[in-house]
Amino acid sequence: MIITRKTMDRRTMLRHVIYAPTGLMMASWTPAQAGENYTLSPILKPLEAHREKFMVVSNLDHAQAEALGDGAGDHGRCCGSYLTGAHVKKTEGADLASGVSMDQLVAQKYGEVTQIPSLELGLEQPSLAGSCDTGYSCAYTNTLSWSTPSTPLPVTTNPRAVFERLFGDGDSLDAASRLAQLRRQASILDFVADDAKRLSAGMSASDKRKLDEYMTSVRDIEKRIQKAEAAGGAAGSVTTFARPAGIPDDFQEHARMMIDLQVLSAQSDLTRVTTLMLAREVSGRSYPEIGVPDAHHPLSHHGNDPEKVAKLTKINTLHMKQIAYYIQRMSETKDGEASLLANPLLPAGASLADPNSHSHRNLPTIVAGGLVKGNRHLVAAKDTPMTNLMLSMMDMLDVRVDKLGDSTGRLPGFASVA
Amino acid sequence: MAWNNVRRHNGAKRLGAKLLVSAGVLAAAGLVASPFDASVSTAERKKMLLQYCTACHNDKAKTANMSVLPLNPDNLGADNATWEKILRRLSLGEMPPKGMKRPPKEQLNDFVHWLEHSLDQRIAANPDPGRATVRRLNRTEYANAVRDLLAFDVDMSKDLPVDDTGYGFDNIADILTVSPTLMDRYINVAGKISRLATGQASRNPGTTDHKIEKDLFENAFGIASYNERASDLLPLDSRGGTAFKYYAPYDATYAIQVFLNSGTSTESEIDANNRYELRVPLKAGLRTIGVSFRRKMALNEELIPASTKGPRVPKATNVTLLPMDVQVDGARVKTLEVPSVALGPNVSQSFYLRDVMQVSVVGPYDIQGPGDTPSRRKIFTCRPASASSSAENACARQILGTLARQAYRRPVSSADINPLMKIYAEARKGSDFEHGISASVQAILVSPGFLFMTESDPRGSRPGAIHRIPALELATRLSLFLWSSIPDEELLAVAEKRKLSDPAVLKQQVSRMLADTRSKALTDNFAGQWLYLRRLEFQKPDRRAYPDFDVRLRSAMKTETEMFFAGVVRENRSVLDFLGADYTYLNQRLAEHYGIKGVNGTTFRKVQLEPALHRGGLMGQASVLTVTSYNNRTSVVLRGKWILENILAAPPPPPPPDIPALNEARNGKVMTVREQMEMHRKHPVCASCHTKMDPFGFSLENYDATGAWRSADAGKLLDVSATLPDGTNFDGPKGLRDVLMSRKDQFVEAFTERLMTYALARGVEAYDMPAVRLVRNAARDDGYRMHTVVMGIVQSVPFSMRRPPEK
Repeated sequence: MIITRKTMDRRTMLRHVIYAPTGLMMASWTPAQAGENYTLSPILKPLEAHREKFMVVSNLDHAQAEALGDGAGDHGRCCGSYLTGAHVKKTEGADLASGVSMDQLVAQKYGEVTQIPSLELGLEQPSLAGSCDTGYSCAYTNTLSWSTPSTPLPVTTNPRAVFERLFGDGDSLDAASRLAQLRRQASILDFVADDAKRLSAGMSASDKRKLDEYMTSVRDIEKRIQKAEAAGGAAGSVTTFARPAGIPDDFQEHARMMIDLQVLSAQSDLTRVTTLMLAREVSGRSYPEIGVPDAHHPLSHHGNDPEKVAKLTKINTLHMKQIAYYIQRMSETKDGEASLLANPLLPAGASLADPNSHSHRNLPTIVAGGLVKGNRHLVAAKDTPMTNLMLSMMDMLDVRVDKLGDSTGRLPGFASVA
Repeated sequence: MAWNNVRRHNGAKRLGAKLLVSAGVLAAAGLVASPFDASVSTAERKKMLLQYCTACHNDKAKTANMSVLPLNPDNLGADNATWEKILRRLSLGEMPPKGMKRPPKEQLNDFVHWLEHSLDQRIAANPDPGRATVRRLNRTEYANAVRDLLAFDVDMSKDLPVDDTGYGFDNIADILTVSPTLMDRYINVAGKISRLATGQASRNPGTTDHKIEKDLFENAFGIASYNERASDLLPLDSRGGTAFKYYAPYDATYAIQVFLNSGTSTESEIDANNRYELRVPLKAGLRTIGVSFRRKMALNEELIPASTKGPRVPKATNVTLLPMDVQVDGARVKTLEVPSVALGPNVSQSFYLRDVMQVSVVGPYDIQGPGDTPSRRKIFTCRPASASSSAENACARQILGTLARQAYRRPVSSADINPLMKIYAEARKGSDFEHGISASVQAILVSPGFLFMTESDPRGSRPGAIHRIPALELATRLSLFLWSSIPDEELLAVAEKRKLSDPAVLKQQVSRMLADTRSKALTDNFAGQWLYLRRLEFQKPDRRAYPDFDVRLRSAMKTETEMFFAGVVRENRSVLDFLGADYTYLNQRLAEHYGIKGVNGTTFRKVQLEPALHRGGLMGQASVLTVTSYNNRTSVVLRGKWILENILAAPPPPPPPDIPALNEARNGKVMTVREQMEMHRKHPVCASCHTKMDPFGFSLENYDATGAWRSADAGKLLDVSATLPDGTNFDGPKGLRDVLMSRKDQFVEAFTERLMTYALARGVEAYDMPAVRLVRNAARDDGYRMHTVVMGIVQSVPFSMRRPPEK
């Protein structure tokens, strides 16, 4: 892939999602006050420096993640419904059924103008197919994104694979190597075009048409290279970034690398829709680096044991730190004159509230980015569907949709852009 | 079968085409078919059609879109496709249908023999090789061509998009298009290949993961592991683990990281806590890396059940250490000691044996050099005599000339080499000789001369004037057919010397190619698609109904059928073995599935079969039986359709839309599959096709949805009797085999059609049918041997001749 450095439309829409699994300790999450200038709760503390850039939204529900007669399996349901608002089908088999997720609806529109329609990222390897939550296939807890009601999009956890998908086989992105790569490709394409011309000279009309497909494709790539070369020397080139070797051992390092790639993908406009799962739903990961050697999911069944609650809060806070890192990186990265953060909408949060009771009500949610008015805590009316927020967000991105899952309308008070 | 669809071919235009071929090719030998009464006039032939066919096939009703009224037996060419259809239906005994007036048997047979003879004779006088479109290499052929051109055996085909299929195969010329995405991928992949093959890959360490295929995760238990040898590449006394190929880009040090199962209920099986690493030096090139444990002979004493209640504090237990062996290219390089159970804060319990989930290789570190790999040896056939640019250029010309000749499958001239030298020179600037060469190699790999198989016509030839395909182009057709790759040096040389037109030389080359290991491509690509083996990995038998269906069984099923097919090719056996054989290939897992005793170990071996074992031939093999079933039950219709399509070349038309699902219970009673299928027989709209398909499926009902033998279903003893539309009764798999054997000529025709489709890379049309029948007759005269079928196809008009297309 060649980085195309085109001047971005001032209002280029970006849609990134960051997701924390297995619920949050709501007592330490929900800010006490509503409205502006609220006090940040302990879990939200890492975002202190950026309070102008995000808002907290409370009282959003995912009613479709309730059992509704299906019995156990809250994790399979909550993850499958997070971006779809659908009541997913209880199955371990091939007949998965959810809904089209919000990020894919946005990708359907913007994916046409970018090289890659969307990126699904994760930090924890998807479980091998099987059952991950009672009666629910692992496909439900492996990802948030569904391009069709039966097609989940698996996450990529290897930063190197993401890099290669975005930028191809090169070792690094510095200007010299990029230009060298471009030149080599250009000369090969010249040779190939000449060769094709020679070959097609002796061909019949129908055979010529076949070779035409080939030549058209070659010209297509030549044009892209020319554009890239022309822009390549221009100021404000992409930061130098080396190709990652593989998956880092350390959680934070891995998270930062993935977030860096999210930022990079936005900077080079290779895609405008990304989702990042900080861990799989029902994650069993442990975090010894912050003093939590226990596995996450079993821990989340805290039974109100103060020691467990404290450890869980630590994990939640660590996850929030990564979101803070995202906001920071987006703010520092230039896009034309403004920062990249001017444009995107980043909803972040979890699909469960209190994990012990697998509560699907009043889900912890923040929305960051230049399109929202930050520094406020919006308390929605009781029983507001989360999907209403998503509809409003899609409005902001110019993606007009009448209904998403169980939505009942837009979210009042949300759309007030600075 | 392309022409079986309702379409007309106007052979009339081709009548009177000037022949540029010697008459010897049109061997009349094959035309001595079954005798017929030559005294019967064509008017009487037409009368027969009018008498028995016009009730349905008239101008008004036009059943199956066909009326026999305009047909003229004196001018078969005007309605070639229709006549071929008539021939097929009559020989199958399907027409006239049951219940309608039928002519006496002898008269019907006489008609059939006359028709076949006449159609064959018409084509013999006016050969028609059909249309040949320029054809791109599909991704398998591309990977094989790279392997043979550069001696570089790393499968890059996964980096290329999946090819579209047509007529059941993914090598069909018309269907293989080129898109910008594909072009982009070709350039990318060519870059990777050219750098790796010349020893110029990135010097930064990267990670390559090899994930082992495992069974489904079982909530609270983990993922199954077995006390048996996991691969033929691992030590005989080993259990578990894996062996895989890794391409080391440099002579250097690499870290091998082994991820073990944590055997707990925390679904995340791959984490740093259960990772064991060692550093080994590896020589550049394709290395086989193996990791394994030692086979347990005694009872497992390491399993430590831990309580899940109470405080989750790890007990201070002495956990046994297990030796874990790491091998490189078959030799053990190190033995690590790993705990026999995963040590974690939460659970120290293991339901399954300690085993490997994934192996990652990280490197290169401490690079020593590009090494002496087979691909470097193949590419660098010379070294510059001195450091001067003229010496370098001379050597570069030699290297590129050699590679271009094999890549383009023809002699090359400076018109071919000069542009490559230009690329070499540009890349050489500011770098070195090898870097320049790698750029030119990349160019060769994306050039149309490599990617496309082009065929030429003699100068000044008129459209419609057929001619023999020149030797070099025939060589490419041959190598794509038998090896899914480019010709090797020997074949190229024989073709260049124009010896390939000698039938004896051609035969010798074909035999050589079939004996060569590269003919494995026929098994992988032809059989893999003809027998739907590529679908096997996507079948997901219901875990509750078939709890024993595991990764080992899935893999074993595939191997059985692959080895069976390959055996018929290698030993030049009769293709009738596909219908029924007294042998097959088994390992212990598969034998257990079949209820066959006495087969021990994971390695496959040939096993003689007794009739009582109910196996032998394709229809008794679990792979075929599984891909023709649903996840939780067998399908009489899928199996019947498979037999009609692949064994008898008589595919049924597609079903009408909006068919409701089967009723599994009526009035509270669970019905057998047979009872559920009643509707197929009752309704005439359904019956027209289902009376042909269902009988075959019923006879196979003893095999469940994973191919295991059973005598009962839904609590009732199975009724595996069946009746064909023409009244033939048969019973069970043995009866099926007898019925198919009685139609063996038809099977050989069907098999030839499939193989010819694959060989020609286009659908087989009505005008090809005489060629198909020629092959069938030749096979019949030689015990139906496989090589005779292959040779027949190679020598056929469609394969060895060409009709210049309209300009």
